Amino acid sequence: MLDEWTSNSLTHDPMRLYRLKRDRRHIPVSAKYNIMGFISSGTYGRVYKAECVEDGQIHAIKKFKPDKEGDVVTYTGISQSAIREIALNREINHENIVALKEVILEDKSIYMVFEYAEHDFLQIIHHNSTHRVPIQIPVLKSLVYQLLNGLIYLHSVHILHRDLKPANILVTSNGIVKIGDLGLARLIYEPLQPLHAGDKVVVTIWYRAPELLLGAKHYTKAIDCWAVGCVIAELASLRPIFKGEEAKLDSKKNVPFQKDQLLKIFEVLGTPNERDWPGVKDMPEFQSMKRLDYFTNRLHEWFRTRANHAISVYELLLRLFYYDPDKRLTAREALNHPWFQEDPKPTRNAFESLLSHSHSHSLQSQVPNPSHHLPPLRRITQDDAPSMVPMQGNINIGNGNNNAGGAGHGHGIPINAGGMGAGVIGAGGGGGGPPFGSHSQTHSKPGSSASFASLSGGGNAGGTRKKARLG
Amino acid sequence: MATDFWTSSHYKRWIVDRSSWNQARAEDYRYVDRPEYIDYLSIYFANAINKLGKKLQFRQRVIATATIFFRRFYLKNSYCDTDPFTVIAACCYVAAKAEESPVHIKLVVTESRSLFSQSHYGVKHFSSDNSKLAEMEFYLVGDLECDLIVFHPYRTLLALCKKEAGNGQSHASEEGEAYSDLGVGADDGPRYWGTGEGQLELTPAAFQTAWSIINDTYRSPLCIFYPPHLIAIAAIYLTFILHPPTRPESIGLTSEQDTLFSEPSLEQPRQPRRSSRQAHGTSHSNVSQAKKPQDPVSFLAELNVSLPLIATISQEIISLYTLWDNYKEDGLPDAGKFAGNMDSPMSSAMGSTSVSPAKRTASGQIMRHDVTASSMGLNYHRTPASLSVGAQTPGSADDASGDTASSADGNMCPYITPVFLSGVLQKMRERKMASYAAVVNAQPRMQGVAVNKRLERTQAAG
Ligand SMILES: Nc1ncnc2c1ncn2[C@@H]1O[C@H](COP(=O)(O)OP(=O)(O)OP(=O)(O)O)[C@@H](O)[C@H]1O
Ligand SMILES: [Mg+2]
Repeated sequence: MLDEWTSNSLTHDPMRLYRLKRDRRHIPVSAKYNIMGFISSGTYGRVYKAECVEDGQIHAIKKFKPDKEGDVVTYTGISQSAIREIALNREINHENIVALKEVILEDKSIYMVFEYAEHDFLQIIHHNSTHRVPIQIPVLKSLVYQLLNGLIYLHSVHILHRDLKPANILVTSNGIVKIGDLGLARLIYEPLQPLHAGDKVVVTIWYRAPELLLGAKHYTKAIDCWAVGCVIAELASLRPIFKGEEAKLDSKKNVPFQKDQLLKIFEVLGTPNERDWPGVKDMPEFQSMKRLDYFTNRLHEWFRTRANHAISVYELLLRLFYYDPDKRLTAREALNHPWFQEDPKPTRNAFESLLSHSHSHSLQSQVPNPSHHLPPLRRITQDDAPSMVPMQGNINIGNGNNNAGGAGHGHGIPINAGGMGAGVIGAGGGGGGPPFGSHSQTHSKPGSSASFASLSGGGNAGGTRKKARLG
Repeated sequence: MATDFWTSSHYKRWIVDRSSWNQARAEDYRYVDRPEYIDYLSIYFANAINKLGKKLQFRQRVIATATIFFRRFYLKNSYCDTDPFTVIAACCYVAAKAEESPVHIKLVVTESRSLFSQSHYGVKHFSSDNSKLAEMEFYLVGDLECDLIVFHPYRTLLALCKKEAGNGQSHASEEGEAYSDLGVGADDGPRYWGTGEGQLELTPAAFQTAWSIINDTYRSPLCIFYPPHLIAIAAIYLTFILHPPTRPESIGLTSEQDTLFSEPSLEQPRQPRRSSRQAHGTSHSNVSQAKKPQDPVSFLAELNVSLPLIATISQEIISLYTLWDNYKEDGLPDAGKFAGNMDSPMSSAMGSTSVSPAKRTASGQIMRHDVTASSMGLNYHRTPASLSVGAQTPGSADDASGDTASSADGNMCPYITPVFLSGVLQKMRERKMASYAAVVNAQPRMQGVAVNKRLERTQAAG
């Protein structure tokens, strides 16, 4: 009854019927979105600005890099980081967390479609520092308030973000803060493995909490609160408060003693002692720490010299910088701090105080006082790596199908078969100078690469190879 | 989310009623000889997931997650136009990542290949190509709609019950650790299923029984019909019937068996670690409470759940055991290696070498306590099968593992076996293929590629 083709198909390509059905139903990314341009390239992939064909809404599409084996792009499995980001985003919903609209799995690539955010903290800091004007307190306070509000939510559902830093905190054009990049985030509710077992090192070095730097095997939500402290200090002073040099992993992948980063912290906050932090003596790196020079707390002085206009936030910051993770303010406690009750009060639109001064975005470079104006729009460019833009023109949804009859040879087709799409327009790309997005990425340093290594038995493609989390 | 089941994707999108499941099986029913084989396939596939999971050294929760993925996948697809073993491999691969304990894709491919090439799976050619599995992972995650965080009854069991103090160990020590070190117990938020009052004390044996019953429920699609906390409560209820708290010795659980039960054997962490931070003493299990006699029935009644619903679920679990009694997994090459794990841990503890004495004992015990059961509205029928199979010897399975095709037709073998079911599956798949071929052949001029093209179109439409 069965012809040869059929029985062959059952044996050698047993998912054939299923695949045909699925591919036939698939609506390709390019049919749903017009790619307007390229925003940024991160550790995992590239972020594009895109317009939804159906309703004209603007989105950011994060396309995860497919892993390559040699020159051939093949399926190698979805990285741990992508799985995390996708799985967590599907469960959460909060105004201050960037919303995931949909995920499209197509041609060995993963596209995560997010709501679009016009700004991010790094860009705002950069903008103000370029113009040598501080971020005004009403704006600063509103940004921090919303950041904490989002973090309270994440912590309430037992998610540690583990990579809070200015580049990962977005702001919409309406001044709503959106915490992004859950690629390192983890559920800490009933973990099957101790947290440190999966990811040996978390958090970009400048924002990494002292307990992590001292080798704690166990950590808590308090690491995110430390990072928030660092972010507040950076908003206030326009540069990273603890800009240490990262010691690289040695050949055995042992995490080295992060001497320089700790010294940068101690120079401002003093050397931790057992009175303030009884647990410090149990830290694996306690002995190494004791050999460092001794410092006393100079945070107040730091404010006076680096961020005097924001001295009102001193007390809050001091408490977010408590060494003892148990004494450090929680996100909720921080939100309840009197600073937020004082005038000026935080506003829902973080830029509200600027609106009365600002006439238009486009005027900002000509007006005398840029601190009174909204930060610039996100620049988008032509993709500088066209091979990564198969999104347009790649309407052949089933690259794997056409020859599916032949026991699955349909998988070695390069991902860039579609090439540069007709619909890609380089809005804003023509202007002189490097686009802001990529410019801002250069703000990191070589020393901070490889801040992530994974011990998880995995070695599954991509995820475990990460990660150079840069400032 | 992590605490709030009611806002989870699991609750919002993946609790379905039985009719949706049956609808999803429509094609399978069309091509299968007897409808009840479909139910046996549920056991067969769950056991296959379990076996693969064990080979990959998964914790029980990862296996459970893989099983849920598998059930969800088949809410949208038919057995007969997929290869369930490829799907199983992908479910395990994704579940490991979703539960933050990833394994290398190569390992999954290698283990799947060696496991599924055994005769009782009838997979003649499991691709050694990693990218085949990765491709399936993509499709799977798509069909799962990227909802990868799932809830399991184990959590409710741990939250509701504690093992009696005395063995000095917390419940599964990895949870114990998580609870104490992460302070999860302390800032857990309101419990979504109950009054939040107190915990029930279970003997280690009873705790293990409840744990095992939960494991067993994954052999049926129950996990997509009911919220996990209700399944847990049903398992606790059934446990009371097996281990009446007033006379724990009466059902023959000796201290020897207690040692077998002393730790949920499937949940042991590879390396228990102590926190570098001081322990917080929030661990449920270490808090000593004043002992007062507990009445389990009123404890369950105080939980804010529907008792008739618990009774229905309990009933369904018993039906599963009844069905399972007719299914025989051993007598197969790897029986010695896996039997203990395959059948619920309860079974090995019950000290029998036969197929699934655990379930049999469980259903037997439950039947003997039918007064209690009826008091909760339970209504079940003792089936002849559940009593008769106990006498069979393992050797008799060999007879059944011969010619699958004739077994399928003749319905002669006393047990449903994996070999038999692999024949059932193969037949379904061939029939489905043949019916498409028939459609295509009705168009005489179409040949070769054109035929295939046509077939593809037909398939896609269907
Ligand atoms: N929703 C969004 N709207 C606008 N821009 C975005 C959005 N999401 C991300 N971006 C931009 O893309 C950059 C990289 O995104 P994201 O942090 O999610 O990716 P990543 O690969 O994890 O990057 P990295 O490793 O650099 O942190 C962000 O810093 C931001 O500039
Ligand atoms: Mg980022």
